[in-house]
Amino acid sequence: MTFQSVITMKEGVHHILLTGRVDSATAGEFEQTLKNLFDTEGSKVILNFAGLNYISSAGLRVVLMAAKRAKQNQGRLVLCGLLPHVREVFEISGFLKILEVIGDCEQALSLLKA
Amino acid sequence: MATPPVELRNKRLLLDYQLPSQLGEIAKLAEAVEGVLPNRPDLAFTANLCLEELITNTINYGLSGAPDRVIRVRISLSDDWLEILLKDDAPPFDPFAEAPTPDLDLDIDERPIGGLGVHMVKSMMDAAHAYYDGSGNLIVLLKTLRS
Repeated sequence: MTFQSVITMKEGVHHILLTGRVDSATAGEFEQTLKNLFDTEGSKVILNFAGLNYISSAGLRVVLMAAKRAKQNQGRLVLCGLLPHVREVFEISGFLKILEVIGDCEQALSLLKA
Repeated sequence: MATPPVELRNKRLLLDYQLPSQLGEIAKLAEAVEGVLPNRPDLAFTANLCLEELITNTINYGLSGAPDRVIRVRISLSDDWLEILLKDDAPPFDPFAEAPTPDLDLDIDERPIGGLGVHMVKSMMDAAHAYYDGSGNLIVLLKTLRS
């Protein structure tokens, strides 16, 4: 299974649906997906992980870069729907302490559009 | 961390795989690993994550991106342990001794990009060692089967 992402705009929030796997071979594609999202000040982005089965440090690197850019440009990045084993990868890396991670994606949307 | 025994009881080989040294090959290895651990998707995930982190390091740094080398992967199960062996023909390198431990308490602005791969392997495995035998590096990983 390879990596796919679909971006939609809902009520002023970018919603990015991720599917497949982010590994060292597909992290570049993931990086392209997120690249320009925080160029404009105050961007709101939801990363929907519900269909993502696998992420390694190559993918975490891309998430961290996006989170840093979001902070610099007064944007907001929320991760939602992480499968338990994927969540554990974020936990081990200390990312749950520094990123906004919410279980339910509907809740993430209502939080951001408020 | 649990302490692994010196002897692995009833060890049987599940997978003996020759991986061409290209990042795009790792997903195929992952499928093979899932195929030999059908009843333990949790273990297959952990094995695949650790394999990818170490293989990516070997390809990018140890082999300087050379696409025509072979990395050998062997996975075995004993009564109590999953054993993973990785063998390359790169110059001597011990990731477990040389990779710095990341500071996980830093704020988002201070966290460096990268440097997490070896930390993940050490966190997820019960034992991780690297040896150099004159022809390449041998990495031995052990993980308890207790979930």
